[in-house]
Amino acid sequence: MNIEYFFFIPLLLELLAAVIGTVTYRKYSESNEKYFLYFLWYTLLVELTGDVVGYLFSADNFWVYNGFIITSFLFYFYWYYSILKRKRFRKTIVVFTAVFLIVAAYSLVYEDGSQYHSYTFLTGASFVLVLTVFHFYNLLNSDEVLIVKYKLSFWISTALLLFYMGMIPLMFLTVYADLNDVSYLIIILSMNLILYGCYIIGFLWTKKEYNRF
Amino acid sequence: MDEKGVQSFLIIFSLIAFLLALTLIVLFAIFQKRKNRLLREQQDAENRYREEIIETQIEIKEETLRNISWELHDNIGQLLTLSKIQLQNADNNPNSVQEASETIGQCLEELRSLSKLINPDTFSNLSLVEALQLEMERFNRMKYLKASLSFSQADFYLDNKVELIIFRMLQEFFTNTIKHSKADVLKVNVDFKDDILKIEASDNGIGFDTEINNAESGIGLMNIRNRAILIGADVELHSKEGEGTQLKLTYKKDTL
Repeated sequence: MNIEYFFFIPLLLELLAAVIGTVTYRKYSESNEKYFLYFLWYTLLVELTGDVVGYLFSADNFWVYNGFIITSFLFYFYWYYSILKRKRFRKTIVVFTAVFLIVAAYSLVYEDGSQYHSYTFLTGASFVLVLTVFHFYNLLNSDEVLIVKYKLSFWISTALLLFYMGMIPLMFLTVYADLNDVSYLIIILSMNLILYGCYIIGFLWTKKEYNRF
Repeated sequence: MDEKGVQSFLIIFSLIAFLLALTLIVLFAIFQKRKNRLLREQQDAENRYREEIIETQIEIKEETLRNISWELHDNIGQLLTLSKIQLQNADNNPNSVQEASETIGQCLEELRSLSKLINPDTFSNLSLVEALQLEMERFNRMKYLKASLSFSQADFYLDNKVELIIFRMLQEFFTNTIKHSKADVLKVNVDFKDDILKIEASDNGIGFDTEINNAESGIGLMNIRNRAILIGADVELHSKEGEGTQLKLTYKKDTL
């Protein structure tokens, strides 16, 4: 069996998460977490476009993913901006966004368009890690710490923290150690399993009364 | 896959797995610790609240006993003494048996109202306004001072424990007024509107400097303030020497 088929598994996980998110939509429709569902569908659309361009037309599809890296991090920044109310956190997010945009612009102009823009990715991923820590700090310092597992935002932050905690070293290490496709696939699959697993748990466990903000 | 490829895969995979496991454990530990602390704090607060309620109940009971002792001595005792004198005079004045009988009747009346007042069943069924009303009546009957109560609404529902604490806060204020202020008028106004309870109590006594308190009334004031914090009420106390004392209490229902 061609191993390329396995690259569709993350896509299926994503579809599953998005469908479950849609089914349970009414539990968090009044909170900012609803934008996350839109974002999931957007991710799915992007991946499909990338696959269609890449496999069906055998064309260069890196521009799809590089565009997605930029928009996804901008979305994360926006989303954290909307849920973190503390002034200092919000200021930090504005600074992060500015720095990220500069790095992204630099990559677009100077980096090779036919590979992943790793600077953009690393900058965005590190910033998102900091933002998840901010969010956890917020949760820890409120009474919500008691009902945290019912909060969708907690699961989203956990998913992002674990995913990027794994992705950053992966990006660094692949520079030094040459990984073949199967190895890379296994790692990416595990990471996707964690990421979408957390989303799915969040969608299923969340309770309406705790998602008001 | 060649051997080198497998090796680098294993290294990277286990490194990442280790990192993720570590993150997860740290995250879990921090959240669990914080959660336990918060639960403990809530438990402590609840215990403090319960203790304070019990203490308040005891204080109200003590106050009641003190009141009974006063009433027996000042009121009923006086009436009985009077009837005794009237009966002793019965030999000289045949009318005085009749008078003594009337005095004893009056005495019985007072006894009845007293026994009704101190019956715990009556007391726990009273609303805040009714309890205050009885308190005012007692002040007037005992001729401590001229007390009056006005209210916008007689029966509103508050948590029993909150009512108890508010009552005790006011009782403490009244005791201060009677003992220290030399006032002869006490006015209380109870206003309940849109789930907000506002109580104003004022006397026309000598007042005191709110900055420098003497030890005795200081404790009473501290008690009032602490209890206000406990039920989440807002208390303002104004007093100036020679201008009487005002207490303003604002309580929003269900803030606890």
